[in-house]
Amino acid sequence: MTEASSPALETRGLCKNFGALEVAREVNFRLERGARHALIGPNGAGKTTFINLLTGVLLPSRGNILLDGEDVTSLAQATRVKRGIARTFQINQLFRGLTVQENVCIAVAERLGVGGSMLRPAGKRADVIEEASRLIEMLKLGGDAGRRIIELPYGRQRLVEIAIALGLSPRALLLDEPAAGIPSAESHILLDAIATLPKDIAVLIIEHDMDLVFRFAERITVLVSGAIFAEGTPSEIAANREVRSVYLGTALDG
Amino acid sequence: MASFTAAEQLARRHRFQWWETLPWIAALAAFFAFPNYLAFGTQVLITILFALSVDLVLGYAGIVTLGHAAFFGAGAYTVGMLASHFGWTEPLSGLLAAALVAGAVGLVSGLVLLRTTGLTLLMLTLCTMTLLEQAANMGAAWTGGFDGIPGLSFGKILGLFSFDVLYFRSQYLYVLTVLLICFLIARTLIYSSFGQSLTGVRENLLRMHAVGAPVRARLVIAYAISAALAGVAGGLFTQATGFVNLAVLGLERAAGVLIVLILGGYGRLYGAFVGAVAYMVLEHFLAKAYPTAWQLGIGIVLVVVALYARNGILGLAETLRGKRRQRSAS
Amino acid sequence: MDLITILLGGLASGMVLFIVSVGLSVTMGLMGFVNLAHGGFAMLGGYVIALSMQHWGLPFGWALLLGFIAIAALSVVLERLFYSRLYRAGELDQVLFTIGLVFVMTASVTLGIGPTSQSVVLPDWLKGQTDLGFIQYRTYSLALIAAGSLLVLALWLGFERTRFGARIRAAVDNRRMASSLGVDVGRLFTVTFAIGSGLAAVGGGLGAEILGLDPNYPLRYLVYFLIVVSVGGLGRVTGVFFAALLIGVLDFVLKIYFPKGGTIFIYALTLMLLLARPQGLFGKKGS
Ligand SMILES: Nc1ncnc2c1ncn2[C@@H]1O[C@H](COP(=O)(O)OP(=O)(O)O)[C@@H](O)[C@H]1O
Ligand SMILES: [Mg+2]
Repeated sequence: MTEASSPALETRGLCKNFGALEVAREVNFRLERGARHALIGPNGAGKTTFINLLTGVLLPSRGNILLDGEDVTSLAQATRVKRGIARTFQINQLFRGLTVQENVCIAVAERLGVGGSMLRPAGKRADVIEEASRLIEMLKLGGDAGRRIIELPYGRQRLVEIAIALGLSPRALLLDEPAAGIPSAESHILLDAIATLPKDIAVLIIEHDMDLVFRFAERITVLVSGAIFAEGTPSEIAANREVRSVYLGTALDG
Repeated sequence: MASFTAAEQLARRHRFQWWETLPWIAALAAFFAFPNYLAFGTQVLITILFALSVDLVLGYAGIVTLGHAAFFGAGAYTVGMLASHFGWTEPLSGLLAAALVAGAVGLVSGLVLLRTTGLTLLMLTLCTMTLLEQAANMGAAWTGGFDGIPGLSFGKILGLFSFDVLYFRSQYLYVLTVLLICFLIARTLIYSSFGQSLTGVRENLLRMHAVGAPVRARLVIAYAISAALAGVAGGLFTQATGFVNLAVLGLERAAGVLIVLILGGYGRLYGAFVGAVAYMVLEHFLAKAYPTAWQLGIGIVLVVVALYARNGILGLAETLRGKRRQRSAS
Repeated sequence: MDLITILLGGLASGMVLFIVSVGLSVTMGLMGFVNLAHGGFAMLGGYVIALSMQHWGLPFGWALLLGFIAIAALSVVLERLFYSRLYRAGELDQVLFTIGLVFVMTASVTLGIGPTSQSVVLPDWLKGQTDLGFIQYRTYSLALIAAGSLLVLALWLGFERTRFGARIRAAVDNRRMASSLGVDVGRLFTVTFAIGSGLAAVGGGLGAEILGLDPNYPLRYLVYFLIVVSVGGLGRVTGVFFAALLIGVLDFVLKIYFPKGGTIFIYALTLMLLLARPQGLFGKKGS
């Protein structure tokens, strides 16, 4: 909290190469506090890589990442999580052999700093269990809480991804195509969950479903070939001819 | 069970169930029923403890190691060298020393090795163990080299019970008690938040990092604790047999304990018990009479387990029970 | 013994290590499959070669060919039936399966043929000594060095100059990318697995002089083959070559100068190397 005006997350001149492939080029990006921000762009544009850079899964080739105005470029993943960045994965990354309840409990236990405690049974951590149960209810997963992840349909699993991320009580929440794989009848569960988040949590969502994006986002960034192609309010983006031809057009076609 | 919610189930998971007394009742029953097999029984108990230590890292933390005999050996040699060079024959403090030395070896090697994963880690655990084996071979002045240290004898347990060499009764009960204590330690760990986070590492490393867990520190701690338990098993081995030699450090022992654990079912706490009893009883009666056929049989069992029955005997039992319940429900 | 003699002896055993291990390196690099049974193929091949010469009077060269074909065929069957089911499994299942396979191989050979060691009788032209001008040396060791060098050259050409080789290299470097480019990695694996196992069989026969040949061969040399492969870098033919020579020579020297436990240095060096470079001396980072 160095400056009141600093955004929740910011990148300056962020670059990332995989060999000769540039997947992030001079990305200057701001995720304001409490923002509802969407990141869109064609497949392979580098959206997931951008999230991996923000969360520390990947180290950038050049450039800086700032969280609340502080440079976190070289911090470990775990440290960034402790400072309030949480994410979901485009492809589920869950504890597949464990129950939904256990999945969320592991995240909550880490956030409360009791994940390393060796003597007290995990079952006696009422605070952890209750908080996990609350999140599970919130995502309408109550009926599945005792089932193992591998027994759930993929769409239900997606919701566990979100419950885990929320269990970390982030200040910046990065959602990588959260609705992909959720039957459209259930995608409102997801939206409702996001809508009930406290207003001071900044949310960045990567999403291909334009209806969802325009309903959710107050700001949209378009990423093409690793570079920011356009940025603005939903109406500005919708009105942008180049975006329409480069991205929205192709999305409508394919 | 089904009438509890998931949260309630989690809240009572760590409570003792009635059937958890069965292994201990069986061990005591064996004590009275087979007085002529107590030396063998002691070896089974030691193997259970060793397999339990491996279960902690393999079954819970998901670290695949081919070198856990390094810690068994470290404990065994600690007890042996203390007794032969310093006349330190007091059993309990000897075990403590074994745990400390093996734990320290585990901590140091874990700090270094656990930066790697997969095949490299497998190789490194193997190399570390072979390195210790070679060191024990070379340091003959201390370790007796290839011949080891024979003819060790130990003091009375708590100054009260001597290791009686004829019937091995106090020895069996002593090892059983140590096993119970170590088991309770392992059980406490496994049901703690720490144990749950180890399971998380095993199930999904990427996600574990993403929830902000200090993954490597957790693994190193688990590795060191497991090493200490393996060291206790090794120390018990030296005390019970009265000798120590290079065999405690070999690939054969490391692979053997892996087989025991897999056979019983890993990640299940009681797999070590079932596996050790099944494997060692069969071995006792078959391996001496038909060593080659025994090897063939074990080989086939391993192939079958790897391909079809990944969760071992306990896993099969669970599957069968699940099927029965389904049938009775429908 | 002078330096040259020691060096040649070390090179000869290094060549044997190379011929046996190279297949393991490529298949591990391709699939990340932990195949602890590779030495078993070498042992079985050695037996085919030794026994076909003893009982059928097959000439040395034909016996080697027979060993190659028999073991390549056997490995394809095993690969299709069993290995292929474990590609996606964890290392643990692969370790268990292949250790089990080693036990089965060792026990079957002990039961069927006997526990004693076999020898491969060399043809006359490979016996005796050869005058190199500056030194007299065992003809067979020199022949091994020549054979190993030819093999690495052939493999190198195969890898660098053929489409098949290019596909293997691509798949070793990035399996996902290769398969998205239309390389059938599964098929590639079957073929390389067969060739690699066949080469191991030849190595088992050629190396019987140096490494011996008995049912415990696979377990005895397991760690050595693994060390060669991980030091050389997975999937690197030339890497395995240099690593095998390095370890062959080192082992030879240490056994002469430190007969009691001198090999400890090999394990220590391997440990340090893998900690500093988990990908081995010649492997690419991150692969
Ligand atoms: N670890 C990696 N190594 C090499 N290339 C990668 C890696 N991860 C992603 N890529 C490549 O980077 C590009 C961007 O990928 P990604 O960030 O997943 O795109 P998006 O999420 O926008 O679809 C793609 O061409 C992808 O193939
Ligand atoms: Mg993506």
